[in-house]
Amino acid sequence: MIHTSDLIQSLAADIRPVRRLRPPAIRASGWLLIAGAIMVGLYFGKGLRPAFAERMSDTTFLIGMLASLATGVLAAFAAFLVSLPDRSQRWLLLPLPPLVVWLSSIGYQCLAGWVGLPPGAVTPEAAAGCASTLLVTSLPLAVAMLFMLRYAAAFRPVPVIIMGSLAVSALTCTALAMFHPLDATVMVLGWNLATAAIVTGVALLINRRASRQRRRHLRTTDRS
Amino acid sequence: MLNLKVEFPDDDPRLGAKGVLEDVAWTELMARSQNGDAAAYLRLLQEITPYLRRRVAAYHQDARDIEDTVQDVLLTVHSVRNTYDPSRPFGPWLLAIAKRRVFDSLRRKIQRQGHEVELSDEHDAVPDADDPLDAIPARVRLRGAIEGLPPGQRQAIRLLKIEEKSLKEASEETGMSIASLKVATHRAIKSLRRMLSDRGDL
Repeated sequence: MIHTSDLIQSLAADIRPVRRLRPPAIRASGWLLIAGAIMVGLYFGKGLRPAFAERMSDTTFLIGMLASLATGVLAAFAAFLVSLPDRSQRWLLLPLPPLVVWLSSIGYQCLAGWVGLPPGAVTPEAAAGCASTLLVTSLPLAVAMLFMLRYAAAFRPVPVIIMGSLAVSALTCTALAMFHPLDATVMVLGWNLATAAIVTGVALLINRRASRQRRRHLRTTDRS
Repeated sequence: MLNLKVEFPDDDPRLGAKGVLEDVAWTELMARSQNGDAAAYLRLLQEITPYLRRRVAAYHQDARDIEDTVQDVLLTVHSVRNTYDPSRPFGPWLLAIAKRRVFDSLRRKIQRQGHEVELSDEHDAVPDADDPLDAIPARVRLRGAIEGLPPGQRQAIRLLKIEEKSLKEASEETGMSIASLKVATHRAIKSLRRMLSDRGDL
């Protein structure tokens, strides 16, 4: 094993100026701006869903949409906060209240949809449009989030990934509610949870590999 | 499911090893390190190392494990040093990273212990004289040594020691006198002892 004082010497010799991260609230706002830009793009590209104003007068729909929007915003703030080593993990509870409201509104939708949807209402075209909105919204958001929080892989990957995927899911659902006639919340959640599981697995692998590399680095420095 | 809780209970994380002032000094050193000041960084790492070592020692007894974990903490500090905000105290930032690495090291230790098996008598590779299986090689060597004796001595050993006949019976069978049988046996045992001890068997 390399001697600790030698390691310190080599780290100090290796130091380069680094750019400090901006405060987490500003970084989260930056990410939310990207989400906002995508929404605007969808508005001009696709237009609002048919009878949007009519749906807005439906209290359940309105509450569900606002709750998913609030969940997305708060989860994004929580993700950027807990990605820093010295911030409390209690920030993870931040999106919990709107999440509860949102999930309970899904429950109602599911039931209502089950009863009210006539057979053949979900056409392949409608489902494909739904899936494209889902991809266009969640993919860039997930990639941006991963890029902005990549340093968290070194010490707190799992909670950060869960919060990040929650933010992406919630905002994607908001977009779908605004731009798509089908209530596809369960599909979006399923999609994003699966993505989250994959990303978590990859992050854990990276973490292990980084840890192994750190060790290998120590051993090779030792030999030289 | 692994359930480990890493806490440094005796420790107000806002304090350095000696008190508040030191944390202020560390904050200052870290801010300068972020700007690329190698001397400040070297001093910071040299000062936090004994402090980390004391914290980590609460979880590891083995000095090697302690150094390993301390080095892991130092490497992580190095790789995520851009996440530190100098307007906040340095201690909690450092301790949060240290806790994470202690947790990892404990997990590795538990996994390592899971692959290790305590040795029992079954794994004992030293021959046991009472075990009939272990005795076979010795018996083969003894038989070989007896074959190497001169004919008179070999016959005496065979009759008296292996077939366990009395001196009188042996004398009748071979026509040798009892005295010469005794001498032959004595010499045979002496040369057997020499032969086997030369080979390190006795």
